[in-house]
Amino acid sequence: MSREASLLRRLVARDEQALVELVDLATPWMLGVAQSMLRDRDEAEEVVMDAFRTAWQNVADAQQDGRGLMPYLLRVVRHRAIDRLRARRRRQMKLARIAGETSGCDVVRAVEPDEAGQPGWHVHQMVHAALARLPAEQAAAVRLAYFEGLTHSEVAQTLDIPLGTVKTRLRLAFVRLRGELSGLKDWVL
Amino acid sequence: MTAHDWFDEHRMEYAMHLLDDKDTATFEAHLAGCPACREEVAHIERDLAWLPMGTQPAAPRPDFRRRIVDDVLGTSRARRRTGWIPTALAAGLLLAAAAGWWSGARRAGRAASELASARARVAALEDTLSIIRGAGRVLQASVQLGGAQGGLLIFADERTHRWNVVVHGLPPAPPTGRYQFWFICAEGMVRGAEVRMPGTKPANFTTDMPTVPCTVQGAALSVEPMDATTGPPKGDMLAHLML
Repeated sequence: MSREASLLRRLVARDEQALVELVDLATPWMLGVAQSMLRDRDEAEEVVMDAFRTAWQNVADAQQDGRGLMPYLLRVVRHRAIDRLRARRRRQMKLARIAGETSGCDVVRAVEPDEAGQPGWHVHQMVHAALARLPAEQAAAVRLAYFEGLTHSEVAQTLDIPLGTVKTRLRLAFVRLRGELSGLKDWVL
Repeated sequence: MTAHDWFDEHRMEYAMHLLDDKDTATFEAHLAGCPACREEVAHIERDLAWLPMGTQPAAPRPDFRRRIVDDVLGTSRARRRTGWIPTALAAGLLLAAAAGWWSGARRAGRAASELASARARVAALEDTLSIIRGAGRVLQASVQLGGAQGGLLIFADERTHRWNVVVHGLPPAPPTGRYQFWFICAEGMVRGAEVRMPGTKPANFTTDMPTVPCTVQGAALSVEPMDATTGPPKGDMLAHLML
């Protein structure tokens, strides 16, 4: 049985020690995703905490999902972060309408953990290499839309290209990434 | 162009959670009745499941991991304590809607899910028990911390190369530290799981051998400073056992 399968099984059995292990292994990656999107450390921590709460309550769903525990956690974090970004944009637009100005966000640079000892680092390197092989213009669109959570319109504005071009670049990039990443399996080796 | 072409074109964006709220709602309404789109979205999600790992990991603040565990378990226990209130309300609502086939189907689905979950719990407990019963070696050491007298107990299953570890009699870790389990290897100390003492109850966990290649010769327990999450032991050693 793989370590991830064993961990998942113990989580389903409500083994609190398994939760401690999962938190230890997964937090840096989840925090990285949330921070890169939200650029606010406190808010990123709230999202990560919320994702663990969801996972603990619905761990049987993660087991039945079949895509693995880590992808499940990362997906929950990313979706929660996007929800917060959208809520933040709505709030900012409302504030702008009221006060005639927009508020900035708290930009915090992510702290680098000890990379050598980080479980899952090899997966990061493989994904990073696949992203690096993308044409530069596609990589830029993926970075802004997927990793920073910008809307298509915001990506178009940032890169100064038409909206249709943003969509085309994203589709081409994701098709290529699918081909390169579909073989990845385990993260805790 | 057919009406379905729009969904074909937007499967990838839906799966990547890039559609706005309105288009997401449109797509989800369509998914309910379109097995082909459901299947393709599931494929895309599976193929790109690791893409978020392209982000650099971020080092958590020293106390963040503990706050997560306390929050998750605290919420979970509070939910169990007050569980009868929503349960009673849900039961009333279900009774009121008992005539509807939909609620019946939903209850059946929930029951199936609870059964699957219970089976998984039993399987996991059987797995833990199999390590204890099949242990080729049982190792134990006393642990003293302040006025507390506890112990470290290891059931080593040499067939599956897994250990069931019990730590008992210790108080919860101090606010500035954490209990850390170590593998003593020929190559040096290798960090195992953090041990969380749940009040007065023993901590019990199953562990595989270290993920890094090494020759395991024993195990140890220490209290590490909260921010010492990598590298060799920096805190007080409480116990050690040699195979």
